[in-house]
Parts: sequence; structure tokens; C-alpha cells
Amino acid sequence: MNFTKGLLLGLTSGILSSGVCIAYNEIYSEAFYINFSSVLTITGIVLSSILGCLLMAMGYVIITKLKKTVLIPWLNVLYCILSFVSVISVLGYKLPLDVEFPEMFPGLAVPMHFFPTLSFLALVPFFLKLKTTK
Amino acid sequence: MKKTAFFMSVLLLIGGVFAFIQVPAWKVAKDYNIEFSAKGVDGVFKTFTATISFDEAKLAASRFVMTIDVNSINTGNGLQNKHAVSDEWFDAEKYPNIRFTSSSFEKTASGYSVKGKLQVKDVTKEVTIPFTFSKSGSKGKFAATFSIDRFAYNVGKSGGDVENNIKITATIPVTK
Repeated sequence: MNFTKGLLLGLTSGILSSGVCIAYNEIYSEAFYINFSSVLTITGIVLSSILGCLLMAMGYVIITKLKKTVLIPWLNVLYCILSFVSVISVLGYKLPLDVEFPEMFPGLAVPMHFFPTLSFLALVPFFLKLKTTK
Repeated sequence: MKKTAFFMSVLLLIGGVFAFIQVPAWKVAKDYNIEFSAKGVDGVFKTFTATISFDEAKLAASRFVMTIDVNSINTGNGLQNKHAVSDEWFDAEKYPNIRFTSSSFEKTASGYSVKGKLQVKDVTKEVTIPFTFSKSGSKGKFAATFSIDRFAYNVGKSGGDVENNIKITATIPVTK
């Protein structure tokens, strides 16, 4: 995967992930009558999603440059593990004291930590030349 | 006739004395703040009720009765809140309130101090709380900062991540 393709993959999966995060935020907030907009801003969601996906795409670019594409499945596993580990930061996150129902926050933020990896892994096949067997 | 007149005079005298020592009752305004902080934890109690009778000139007749709803604790973290109300810490199911009942007031150099009984969980201890009171018309504000040893009230285990000495800061605006 060259740099341009990587950049495009990072951006498109980032945008997809942002959309999913924003939609989930809306549904969750409406369903449970909560408001975490002072902590989870739309700008923050979009920027972190795009940044996360760009970093994942750059991993692909680097591994291609090093001609170690055989390691791509392990890179995917690493991305999943990192997403899972990042959940710890949500569980330990301290909200401002004027924010109501902090116990509802992990239910909103934890799935959002998986959306960038999910979006990225969903779009990767569109950007990689897959080997087909006859 | 003489007996009735005497009885009426005594009643009048008692009524007069009560009227003289009666102190104004203050209602707690909505924007009160009960904060706690220590190394390892900080937060607020969101629900608090109080019966406050206070007059700077009639300290002997003044009285505070305050109740904090333990379940209203907010540390900013859901898991920490759940942990705080568990039996290891406040045991909110068994002891849903923290209570303070005053017994006497004193004028101090920086304001006032109130002695009274502080009940946390099943432990009641005599404490002295320094506070200030500012009044403007029908409004007033009580402010107090003091520390308590949480372990003396069986709140949590001694040592660990949370310091034993907890600083309490209370700001209570009141209206007549």
C-alpha cells in the first residue's frame, strides 16, 4: 500500500468511524436522557477518529515499505488489542463534577473506542490487492 | 380574678422571653456546594438538606441540623461513585445519610465555630467546625472549610490510595 492509498484509507475510514460515533452518540443520548456534550464534542470525535484511522493506515504503509506484508494479519490483531486496551482510559476517566450520571459515560465512550478499528478493518479490503486462488 | 391576672402575666412573660430569644430561620438556596477532597479523590455531595436557625447576636439560641444524602455522591467517575457507596466506604444502603447536629456556637477571630455531633455511618463524634457568615438583607452565606479523619468514622480502610484526612469545603447560600 503506497502513501496516497494509505492516506485515502485513513481518511475514508476515519470519516466512516466519525459518522458511526456521532450516530451512536445521538441514539445513546436520546435513549438515556443524558448529555455528555461538554466532554465528547463532535470536533473531538471527528478528529480522534480520523487521527486513529490515519495512524492505522500508516502502519500498513510502513509494513508495505518494509516488504513485510505477511505481518498484516498480526497488525490487525495489534489494532484490535490496542482498541481494547484503550477502554481502560474510559473506565478511569474523571468527568467534571457538574456532569450528571457519570456512570453512564462508559456505555457511550467504550464502543466509540472500537469504531475506528471496525471501520478501518471494514474498508481495508477495498484498498488492498487481495490474492485470489483459482 | 387575681389568680387569672397572675397566670396571664406569667404567660405573657414566657411569650416575651421566647420572642426575644427566637432566632431567624434560614432556608438553603439551590446553589449550595458540599465538596470533599483528598489525595486520591475529590467530589461533591449533590443533595443536602438543613434546618438553620442562626443569629450572630443570639448564638446561644442558634441551631444547625444538616443531612447529606450519601447516595448523591459524585466523584466524576461512575465506578468510583459505586465504590464510594459500597459497604467498604459509606455503606449507603445501611447508612443513607451523614448528619450534623449543633450543640453550641462561639464567636472566633475569623468568624464563628460550631460544636456538634457528626454522624457518619454508625459512628458519632463531637466535632468543632469553623465557619464564616456573611449577610446582606434577607440573604446570607455560610462558608466552612475543615478536615475529618475518614478512618475515625470507618469510611474505607486506613492507608491505600485515598488519604485519611479529607478536606470538606461547604458553601451554603441561604435566604430568610
